[in-house]
Amino acid sequence: MSASLTGGERLALLERMLLMRRFEEEVISAAAAHKYIGRNHLYIGHEGVGGPALVQLGARDVTHSTHRNHGHMIARGVDPGKALAEIMGRAGGLCGGKGGTWHMTDPTRGFGSTSAMVGGSIGMSVGAGFARKQQGEGVSVALFGDGVLDEGISYEALNYCSKFSLPVLFLCENNSQEGAHITSMLAAKRLTDVPASLDIETHVVDGADAEAVHGCVRAALAKIRANSRPIFIEAQLARWPGSHQMRPEHTTGVTDMSLVWDEARITGEHADWVRHHDPIRLYAAKLLAAGAASKDELLAIDARVKNQMAAARAYAEASPFPDASAALENVFA
Amino acid sequence: MARKTFATGMLDALGYALQTDPTVAVLGAWSFIRDRGLPIEQEDAFFDRYGDRLIDPPTSESVIAAMATGAAVCGMRPFVNFGTSSFAFEAWNQMINETGNAHFMSNGQLKAPLVFHMYCGIRGGGAAQHSQSPQSMFANAPGLELVLPSTAADAQGLLRTAIRSDNPTIFLTHTKLLQWMGDTPDGDFSIPFGKADVKRAGRDVTVVATSLMVRESLAAAEILAKEGIEIEVVDPRTIVPLDSAAICASVEKTGRLLVAEEAVATCSIASEIITIVAEQSLHALKAPPVRVARPSAPLAYAPTLEKAVTPDADKIVAAVRRMLNK
Repeated sequence: MSASLTGGERLALLERMLLMRRFEEEVISAAAAHKYIGRNHLYIGHEGVGGPALVQLGARDVTHSTHRNHGHMIARGVDPGKALAEIMGRAGGLCGGKGGTWHMTDPTRGFGSTSAMVGGSIGMSVGAGFARKQQGEGVSVALFGDGVLDEGISYEALNYCSKFSLPVLFLCENNSQEGAHITSMLAAKRLTDVPASLDIETHVVDGADAEAVHGCVRAALAKIRANSRPIFIEAQLARWPGSHQMRPEHTTGVTDMSLVWDEARITGEHADWVRHHDPIRLYAAKLLAAGAASKDELLAIDARVKNQMAAARAYAEASPFPDASAALENVFA
Repeated sequence: MARKTFATGMLDALGYALQTDPTVAVLGAWSFIRDRGLPIEQEDAFFDRYGDRLIDPPTSESVIAAMATGAAVCGMRPFVNFGTSSFAFEAWNQMINETGNAHFMSNGQLKAPLVFHMYCGIRGGGAAQHSQSPQSMFANAPGLELVLPSTAADAQGLLRTAIRSDNPTIFLTHTKLLQWMGDTPDGDFSIPFGKADVKRAGRDVTVVATSLMVRESLAAAEILAKEGIEIEVVDPRTIVPLDSAAICASVEKTGRLLVAEEAVATCSIASEIITIVAEQSLHALKAPPVRVARPSAPLAYAPTLEKAVTPDADKIVAAVRRMLNK
């Protein structure tokens, strides 16, 4: 048994992570069917960070996300049908088709404005922390990738939060660990050297280990709520082999739950990622080995998720494109 | 009626806002309140009264703009004072890409009610980097309201509206206007956006002027009146939204249009106003419209060079005489 999660919570977390995965697989299949335009930055491989981190947040807690926001949305309980419709540019999308994959947001689930600029949202997270401190309840969670530390504003944001003791969790998803697509060009040896130099408590956690992330974030949130000091967590991830594509593909295959218990069938070019870095397979295997879930329970969870995504896809497909008149609406409040 | 400076008018508006709305907070308080020619007791009283919401952040314009936006979306009404407007260029991505777009990108779900205040214009010896007039740059970025007050009363009333507005508002104060005295209504009052003010009525030429150029145009009007020429000085007060109806109505009356603006003429507010009049009231024009604005060159430091390109009352007078062949 995990130190911080009940049996039911563990299964619920796995189900949420699987929904995040199946959502992205639906995005890939919808893109292949030419249902929408635009580049998508998929969250595949990150579910072990956003899932366990964000399911812990309360209604007053604010998150700011990035171009890689799909998983964050689903993790916080955003309606997957409305999210998929938004990515497909439909009127029934979260933002009526105006934000698309880049700028999805849902304030009813605690999201501020989603920026697709590298470093665009980390500063707004500081503002959310400022507001919540003034208002006396809630914390702010800044979600961003390793490349953001190459931007000057990250230094300003970290400095401001530390100087003014704002309740902000900086959760950096570092997928620049290896491979050909390194996005971090930081001269410091460790990403955490930057916040540490500004008197911010830092932690490094294995981003493929959902329960390790859950525990690390849980402790950090408790501390931030208690003393209103920022904390920086670097979740280290192996980059998903398909993450750099302009047109998304099922690079590592459609997730196959039977690979959880039938490892011999893991083959092919990306077998290493599936075997050692897929956070969903790793977590399901952990629960299976611990006796926390049976094969049948895992398959039942997957069946529920697939049904939910089928309904989401149907909703999105049925939603019309927005009327041209909407192009000039909501410029001003 | 109360007689006060432009700076006092703004401070009174900010004071009323802080007093009546606990969500108002000031980022960059010191340079807005200190060194603006106010009595020191007035400055101190302000800090004593609202100190917990008067914040002086690090010199980090980018995160200041970003945090104001994040806080505004979360229920605050931040008033940001950048100081000199060119400092705001450090925050360009945040203001243009994030703040101005947040409401639209979210399809109206998010609101960013905040004010970005900055000092603009040729202040004397500012050279190229401390004399910027960025108004048309902001006007070209959808989603930002743009205010250019010219008098104490307008400064106070428009700032009240700006802080109450649910939209992000750029509020540009010309440094040379800070000590200009004017009559203001007593107590708390506000002036709506998108309503031009005819600062002086006249029959011969419509002079649309913004910010400091209103004062210069009124000075020009005095000189021209002695020659029997009556110009009508129209102050749009807000550029976004713009009261184009009032401008066109004046041109329909006078048949002549001059736009006085201190910014560089290329793609300026003046260019936009002339375009609107050409589109809507071309039939009324008896002469080609004229811009009195800066040529497209960085501003030099030396006083002689600065004066050579700075639009002022004399240049407005000369342009009006040329328009009337006098």
